[in-house]
Amino acid sequence: MNRPYRFIGKNTPRKDGVAIVTGKAQYIDDIQPVSMLHGKVLRSPYPHAEIKKIDTAAARAVPGVKAVLTHLDVPPWMTGMPRHVPVLDQRVRFVGDAVALVAADTLEQAMAALDLIDVTYEKLPAVFDMDAALAPGAPQLHNIFPGNVVSDFPAFGPNTLSKVARGNVEKGFEEADFISEGTFRYENIANPLPIEPPGVIAQWEDTQRLTVWSGTQSASWHRWIMQSKMGFPDIRAITTQCGGSFGSKNYAPQCMFYAAALAKATRRAVKVYFTKDEHFGAFVLRLGSRFSGKIGMKKDGTVTAMAGKWLVDNGAFSDMSQSQIAVGCGEAQLVINCENWDLSTKLVCTNRCPSGVIRGFGGQELESAFAPLLADVMAKAQLDPVDFFKKNYVKPGGTYIWREGNLWTCRGKDYTDAMEKGAKAFQWKDKWKGWLNPSSVEGSKLTGVGVGIHGNADVGEDDSEAYVRLNADGTATIHASVSESGMAQRSSLCKMAAEVLQLPLENVHMTPPDTLVNPFDFGLVGSRGTYAVGSAVINAAEDALKILFERAAPLLKTDSKDLETMDGRIFVKTEPKRAVGWSKAIGIMRSVTGYGEFKADYSVPNFLILFVEVEVDTGTGTVKVKKVVASTDAGKIIDPPSLHGQLYGALGSAGLDTAVFEETIIDKKSGHMLNMNMSDYKWRTFNELPEFDNVILETPFPTHRFRAIGIGEISTSPGPGAVLMAVSNALGRHMDEYPLTPDRILKVLGEKKGDRK
Amino acid sequence: MKQFKHFDAESIDHALAMVKAYKGKTALIAGGTDLVGVLKSEIITDYPEVVINLKTIADMDMIKNVDSECRIGATARLADIAASELIQQSFPALVAAAKSVGSPELRNMGTMGGNLCQDTRCWYYRYPDKMGGRIPCYRKGKGPCHAIKGENRYHAILGGKKCFAVCPSDLAIALGALDAMVMAVRPGEERLISVLDFFNSRGTVLKSDEILTEVRIPIPGKAAVQVFYKNRLREAVDFAVVSVAVMLDRTDGVCHGARIILGAVAPTPYRALAAEAAIEGKPLDEAHAAKAAESALEGAKPLRQNGYKIEIAKTLVKRALLHCDSL
Repeated sequence: MNRPYRFIGKNTPRKDGVAIVTGKAQYIDDIQPVSMLHGKVLRSPYPHAEIKKIDTAAARAVPGVKAVLTHLDVPPWMTGMPRHVPVLDQRVRFVGDAVALVAADTLEQAMAALDLIDVTYEKLPAVFDMDAALAPGAPQLHNIFPGNVVSDFPAFGPNTLSKVARGNVEKGFEEADFISEGTFRYENIANPLPIEPPGVIAQWEDTQRLTVWSGTQSASWHRWIMQSKMGFPDIRAITTQCGGSFGSKNYAPQCMFYAAALAKATRRAVKVYFTKDEHFGAFVLRLGSRFSGKIGMKKDGTVTAMAGKWLVDNGAFSDMSQSQIAVGCGEAQLVINCENWDLSTKLVCTNRCPSGVIRGFGGQELESAFAPLLADVMAKAQLDPVDFFKKNYVKPGGTYIWREGNLWTCRGKDYTDAMEKGAKAFQWKDKWKGWLNPSSVEGSKLTGVGVGIHGNADVGEDDSEAYVRLNADGTATIHASVSESGMAQRSSLCKMAAEVLQLPLENVHMTPPDTLVNPFDFGLVGSRGTYAVGSAVINAAEDALKILFERAAPLLKTDSKDLETMDGRIFVKTEPKRAVGWSKAIGIMRSVTGYGEFKADYSVPNFLILFVEVEVDTGTGTVKVKKVVASTDAGKIIDPPSLHGQLYGALGSAGLDTAVFEETIIDKKSGHMLNMNMSDYKWRTFNELPEFDNVILETPFPTHRFRAIGIGEISTSPGPGAVLMAVSNALGRHMDEYPLTPDRILKVLGEKKGDRK
Repeated sequence: MKQFKHFDAESIDHALAMVKAYKGKTALIAGGTDLVGVLKSEIITDYPEVVINLKTIADMDMIKNVDSECRIGATARLADIAASELIQQSFPALVAAAKSVGSPELRNMGTMGGNLCQDTRCWYYRYPDKMGGRIPCYRKGKGPCHAIKGENRYHAILGGKKCFAVCPSDLAIALGALDAMVMAVRPGEERLISVLDFFNSRGTVLKSDEILTEVRIPIPGKAAVQVFYKNRLREAVDFAVVSVAVMLDRTDGVCHGARIILGAVAPTPYRALAAEAAIEGKPLDEAHAAKAAESALEGAKPLRQNGYKIEIAKTLVKRALLHCDSL
């Protein structure tokens, strides 16, 4: 494999780029099956209540209204782990929870009907905080979860991680030179806010066959995950271009339930496309995360023990929180190399909008919560955090218990080089002045630096299948259930296939993301696109080539092993003039289909270190992110702009800015979410982008033929802790609350002023 | 959004006649950047049957000098105000305020009149109806002000009584410092109102059949300097946490006739008279600016979460005064 790559690592045009920027790309709101109705949801005014009576007669009488559904007449489908979330329930558990569904010819008719549904509620006491939810005598959200503690669930098999128990923590703490402890919260339940709200269109082809269109991230989930929740109908799941997801739109079970139930009742196609308000207030938030515990460390940065309780705020219900807890428990072990662990977890229900899958998937929540604990112990030891991370991030031969409960040995690489090169690019050694020391002070402007790391062993997560079909006209078609949710992964998969097949990139295409025409793929979850999905596509392309060469060999009177192909011609390696075109080898009435698969492999963790420089204005409490450097090793870059884009994404989408200003604000008495719009929910705008540099090393990985791994998912995760550290250093005091809004900064500055008096 | 009729007004008289004809069932629209959001959220129960478009009225977007004052029509767009040479020459504080609003798209749509008349951003008041029902409150005529005991980080620290929502207008703050007047017109009556008197704790003093048609700003003398500062969580598409506009005369190294107006600290633009008195006849140095800043916030009564706004306001007043000294 000494030939230089034609496409891999090159800035090739994104295949769907022109369609996106010219408005040709189709999103869910562009899809309109014949006779489609519009579905709307009536939402609860109370954070917790029992529906005593519900009168829909007036709503049904509105012209154009075709169905009104309540908890009394929806299909008996259930979601949640274990099953605890019906389509509609007699109980509502947050302000904005679904009460009734309407389908009508127009949106306006559906909205008008909502106003005419008469509901009698019996208000119940509500809990908005995990302490309140866990207190004796607290109101119970779900009968099956006594004490509001969601039960463990074998999401990844019988040994699914819900704790980390390794070694002997008592002994570990005895060996420690420094011990830090405390309770720290990462509970701003941020919203990743892709531009496009979630939406699903459902249409029943007959009583057993359901077609759903959606703008979601993982095409297959609306088939294979939802089948088991809906009595196993034969679901055809189609995804349109997805207007961003950041994990949150991996799928949309509530939207799908509503659309499918209304479609069943009306025998028409029904679209349920959330408004931005619903996207904020009734879709999914990041998990709330609280860590209470302690860490023991030797002078040299060796962590001797890590013990604590991880409380996770689930909101009113969830679909996948236990999976996130499992992955979080795994990721913590990648970041902290420690023989002795005693980490227990508890998943708690509260009366607010549910939590869901968000980029960072458990690890960001846990690590951001214990970031202040690490900072404290490092400060006690006067350890440079970069040295601490170099010492502690998992190295080849290191072990960790992953989500399903198996002990894995890392066969990836030592990321020390990525950390050092990143530090150099950031000029860390010049800017780092020791713990709680600003890098510089100019008038009212204090500058501080911080650093964080994160890694995930999910780059080879779960299984994938793909077909690659070679056509007589010298084109190739990839069959794989891969959505396009913004990262250009479909384009990158075409590059991989084109490289294997040595076809011009414009001759390689993918089938639409549609489970009817494609084999199984788990989806673009975590960072699995490059290694897991990529392997399946590469294997399928190689398999197809093998068949192609077997067909060509007799025509060229040689062995298939002696053949190569370039731009639709097959030739003998040693005698390139002995050649035959694909059309002849394949036959114009034939095609060649190769099959490829990938089986889960959790032995190659990815990694990112993120350096941050902030400036704090002591007069106004404003925190400005001035400079960011992200450093990683991708093995081999498939598509440079796409990878850079993923890393730049560290800031927003419930990432680094959850330490600056992103947060969901809920009234603690009424349960109303107060900032569900894009001006009150603070989301960084383009004119406030800091200087941002990426350092991307390319040391080959033992993965597939391009020796690459995925990075994309993890870029948001090191940011929150890094910002906390940077602001702490600027202010000269440990900051341990998220986000660091001016009120929190000014409070600390006021206290410091008081100290001096 | 519900259905409504939409009429293009041909003249101010035509608009007034329609307001009268559809008594109490109308809303005026110019840029619509606030109104459309209000209507989509269905935060108010008296949803308009008729929306009257003022943009079609000739010359209502004027920006011109008449004698010793500048007249800006109510439908003059914020982008045009910011780009106007006339305004740049005489009213740099107004330019800064106009530039600080929203984003380029919003400034291309939003207008002078709309910026002054926009509804408050209080998040209880603005809670969208289809997310469980709008929240009744004192400002809507029913119930208490939920901010008093609730989430009040952005609410009033001064002058709040029964409603602690703050005036969201940036232009009002600059115009207050510039001592501007607004013209309100109803059938058979025109009145000029000082911009500071234009606001009350529930919004504006406009009567239900009255239309704001223009703003008149006296052109300041040569010795006058002016600044506008706006603090917010992010530098675009954000409302003020605190803003301040200052105009003052600087002769012989001392300050005269300062007008210091604070924004987003009270239900209306807040004139800091004590600060104006404190700086009168004083040099604009660090010590005097700091003293004036202290005076500006005298009497502030923060709620549970908004005490930090006092610190920010003091900083802004001090920095604005020192900035005036450097102009």
